[in-house]
Amino acid sequence: MSFDWSIVWSSLPRLLEGAWMTIWLACVTMLLAIPGGLVLALLRLSRIRALAMAATGFVEFFRATPLILQIYWVYYVLPAYFDVQLSQIATAVTGLVCNISAFNSETFRSGIVSIRQGQWNAAYALGMTPANVFLRIVAPQALMRVLPALASTWVSLFKDTSLVSIIAVAELSYVSLQIRAETYRILEVLTAMAALYWLMGYPQAKLVDWIHHRFKVAE
Amino acid sequence: MTDDPILIFESVVKRYGDLTALDGVSLTLRRGEVVCLIGPSGSGKSTLLRCANALDPVDEGRIRFDGHEVKSTESSVRLVRQRMGMVFQNFELFPHLTVLRNITIGPTTVLKLGHAAADERAKKLLAKVGLSDKALSYPSALSGGQQQRVAIARALAMEPALMLFDEPTSALDPETIGEVLSVMKTLADEGMTMLVVTHEMDFARRVADRVAVFDKGRVIEEGAPQEIFTNARVARTRDFLSHLGWHGEGAASVSKREEA
Repeated sequence: MSFDWSIVWSSLPRLLEGAWMTIWLACVTMLLAIPGGLVLALLRLSRIRALAMAATGFVEFFRATPLILQIYWVYYVLPAYFDVQLSQIATAVTGLVCNISAFNSETFRSGIVSIRQGQWNAAYALGMTPANVFLRIVAPQALMRVLPALASTWVSLFKDTSLVSIIAVAELSYVSLQIRAETYRILEVLTAMAALYWLMGYPQAKLVDWIHHRFKVAE
Repeated sequence: MTDDPILIFESVVKRYGDLTALDGVSLTLRRGEVVCLIGPSGSGKSTLLRCANALDPVDEGRIRFDGHEVKSTESSVRLVRQRMGMVFQNFELFPHLTVLRNITIGPTTVLKLGHAAADERAKKLLAKVGLSDKALSYPSALSGGQQQRVAIARALAMEPALMLFDEPTSALDPETIGEVLSVMKTLADEGMTMLVVTHEMDFARRVADRVAVFDKGRVIEEGAPQEIFTNARVARTRDFLSHLGWHGEGAASVSKREEA
């Protein structure tokens, strides 16, 4: 069996483009899923039951079904039954954002409820508005507590972006599999793909370890 | 002290489900007066404080602060809370903020005071409670007594007309109780109006203008500390005090304790 690593070097520009798309997808998804998760968490904690139940339904649906199904669903069902036409990238981002928002909402919710009532009371006793109490007192403390969980979600998200290759979004997995199909150099291409994912993922995993260590809950 | 009432509870009733925490409490606090609330745990003292600034809404009766009824509608209650400082048993400093920011957050966000002016106010208050060197520390680096003194400074930074103290020394190590009580004594001497829930009978006896004794959600006896501690009329007051080690000694033996 002979190896032809030149395939990897000649395909490197395309692979890097794919890697760039992977990074872009993960970043855009997280940037949207943080406010998305926060809104869902606040809705679930709302005293208005209809809002709380709607948010709960959304979260439990997206947490309990596979991401790949959700992406297909957005890709096929939205255009066919709801007359919503999205580009492939928009479809990918929509699916990922819905899924990650659901996970983030549970993370944020657990962080918010972990702040004891006394902190709310102390802030209210100063005459602060509910919005100020939340933004200045509760949210910053909750965020510190959930940072490790949020970081873990990020690492999963980074790898899960590969699932949008099924709708032909040219991120790293899709590009790699394309090159494999064109060249039949399976081992070389998959090795290059693994190396690129690892080079990007390993520093992140280390960063998460550091965050876990740094933000351990301390009162 | 004047005859001018600042806080009036009129037949206040507060229930938590089946439990009646306050069962028709009437009490008047005059400007410049220090009133201590004493009585067994669970008798409703702390609930009364939380009702005073509407952290808990009352079920019946009403509360008037400075001529206005304390209602739990949001904007009016914020005006009441701005002028009523509150100190909690567990301090409840904001752990993500430095000592200085704990004190300035009220003035800057609620009173819209500029940062420079708020910092200056905070530094004066830190000097007053003896913690000038801790301005840039975080609460977790402070002892309980120090945290509670910061909490007092935080409440004072709003320049309140009245201070509520909810068992301010109950969560403290014995050796740090004194430093907090001294700060409170200083405030009382300066004429601050104070409503204090406490188990510190020496403090109540020495600092309070009046003492109200709670039992099962009611004020069972109210009067000058001398009367309550040496000559309680109500049997349950005497029971309560004797459980704490006050055996109705005369004033003479009490002052001996003080000198000791």
